[in-house]
Amino acid sequence: MSGICLMRLQEERKQWRKDHPFGFWARPQKKDDGLDLMNWDVGIPGKEGTIWADGVYKLQMIFPEDYPSKPPKCKFTPPLFHPNVYPSGTVCLSILNEEKAWKPAITVKQILLGVQELLSDPNPDDPAQLEAYQLYKKDKTAYNEKIKKQAKENMQK
Amino acid sequence: MAVPANRYACSKAILGEDLFNKVQNSRVLVVGAGGIGCELIKNMVMTGFGGSSTGSIEVLDLDTIDLSNLNRQFLFQKQHVKRPKAVVARETALKFNPHVNITALHRNIKDAEFSVDYFKSFDFVLNALDNLDARRHVNKMCLAASVPSIESGTSGYVGQVQPIKKDVTECFDCQPKPVPKTFAVCTIRSTPSTAHHCIAWAKSYLFPQLFGTDDDAEEQELNDAEKNGENADEIQELRKEAAAIKELRATLVQEGAAKRVFDKVYTTDIHRLLKMEDMWRHRKPPHPLSFEQLETWALQQPAPAVNGEAEKPQGIKDQRKLSLEDSFELFLSSVDRLSKRIDPSSPLSFDKDDDDTLDFVVAAANLRASAFDIESQTRFQVKEYAGNIIPAIATTNAIVAGVLVNQSLHLLRTSTWPLAKMVWLSRGSHKVFSLSSLPTPNPHCSVCRVVYLPIKLREDITLGEFVKKVVGGEVGFEDHVTVSLGSKMLWETEDFEDNEEKTMSELGFKEGAFVTVVDDDDHYPVEFSIG
Repeated sequence: MSGICLMRLQEERKQWRKDHPFGFWARPQKKDDGLDLMNWDVGIPGKEGTIWADGVYKLQMIFPEDYPSKPPKCKFTPPLFHPNVYPSGTVCLSILNEEKAWKPAITVKQILLGVQELLSDPNPDDPAQLEAYQLYKKDKTAYNEKIKKQAKENMQK
Repeated sequence: MAVPANRYACSKAILGEDLFNKVQNSRVLVVGAGGIGCELIKNMVMTGFGGSSTGSIEVLDLDTIDLSNLNRQFLFQKQHVKRPKAVVARETALKFNPHVNITALHRNIKDAEFSVDYFKSFDFVLNALDNLDARRHVNKMCLAASVPSIESGTSGYVGQVQPIKKDVTECFDCQPKPVPKTFAVCTIRSTPSTAHHCIAWAKSYLFPQLFGTDDDAEEQELNDAEKNGENADEIQELRKEAAAIKELRATLVQEGAAKRVFDKVYTTDIHRLLKMEDMWRHRKPPHPLSFEQLETWALQQPAPAVNGEAEKPQGIKDQRKLSLEDSFELFLSSVDRLSKRIDPSSPLSFDKDDDDTLDFVVAAANLRASAFDIESQTRFQVKEYAGNIIPAIATTNAIVAGVLVNQSLHLLRTSTWPLAKMVWLSRGSHKVFSLSSLPTPNPHCSVCRVVYLPIKLREDITLGEFVKKVVGGEVGFEDHVTVSLGSKMLWETEDFEDNEEKTMSELGFKEGAFVTVVDDDDHYPVEFSIG
């Protein structure tokens, strides 16, 4: 495990504690008697004024040992109905792709805001699950209904 | 045994009496007795290192000798195969010069016994390692011990040597290191565009799915989702997907397994991808392969002649271009061979030297490449890529080992290192070496811009006491602090104070470990090395 990775994660945690966007949460996961810096539990609220608004969607951020040279993996738990989310829950987004837009300078805050943006603004050029993609393309009304229902199911108690 | 009078005559003449004495009296740790290490050890014993009663060379390597090492690691011979590298390197070096103090350790440098104090017992450390992880570890230990080190490495025709001294020069981690590329899931599973994407898919996705560790995580996830009242239809869909592969896996031992796998991954899945039309608006769409078509072709081929002479294609098997049909046949035969090896208690894993697994990856990758109109790769190319083979050249290692000794002479000459340089060995330019003066530490380096402090912990000290007395009192971090052990955070003021009453030893802070303390202001982090 490299010191670079751990120091950066400590720094990300520090910055997040000092300041983070409203309605979001992000903290290292409890493991045995401590907190695991390589694995964060995250909540992303749907954007106000969109069909996603009512829900807070739970996501896991898994940091590789080569972070920040490599991006973290973001995985919705449970998997989300969304054109750019793989059946396993993994998010397909350019800033999370080492070959595309990932840069080591991208912060946890920027990633989570990016994922929030993706929820209400899917990218049909890079579909990751067939079901959500087809409904989104072929029947917007049904898609919207389904998303709203999903938002209700993900309301924070 | 008395040292012959003219043993070091040349060394003395070149180095001068003063420097030669320093060479003889220095205590040096050599980490790694492989490609660079063998050359280095030979150079050192011939120069005079370890040649006096106070001087010594300690060689450490965790590896044993493999047949494939013998083409470049010249201290080893065929009869040494399977013996520890460090031990044999010492034996052979002693034959060149029996008058040196040289010790060998067949150990891992990352073991806890090689503590900060251990590193402190050397005048300097020479690194002849072959992996990033161990390099980073030695770099950190030398920084914590304030012992100079010289880092080295080669890859094919290029190489470098870098002297490192805490607070004076850049450390190994001051500049980000390029990490081997990994590809995004999207690229691997849906939109490959290079042969490497196809190889990665075959090796890291298809192979483990069929023959590797049975991963129940996905199923567990779906079960949990259902329990939590998730949309049942959706879960059903996801289950189907997971079940399809599971089913293939379960029936691998039955007749026709290769066809079932083929039909799923090269026909059904490709059709499925094609349905996502937008994905192919700016990309060339793949085309499904047909098992029947390829099978018909295969059946039409004449049976191989008994003497095999006339039918044999030209060239070495590993370097031949594979046609779609070649890959098809190789796919059938490798699935067949692997299916026979299935044993539920020990899943298979990819190994470049295991022909069955390599053949499968070669065939599966090339079939996928064909479906996506990507050029096929030879068996050799796939082996090189999938097996992460880095070419090693004896001459490069020898040159770099020479530079290592040269730089260590600069270190010994004076404590200010006026002559020490960063040395790059490059190919193709008009100069063999390019030199640069040693850069000063990167002010944002998270490895050397850390304050390292040795500490001894009382048996019964609690984490709460440690935070209050040591971190708050001695170090002076007063507000918000975090305390971690590796990637485990054990204290975060206000947010996580569960461990206040627990003793440090109970929490895993043992001798040899580092306690990392960071505060909310912009102080340098502190790492306590427990002694």
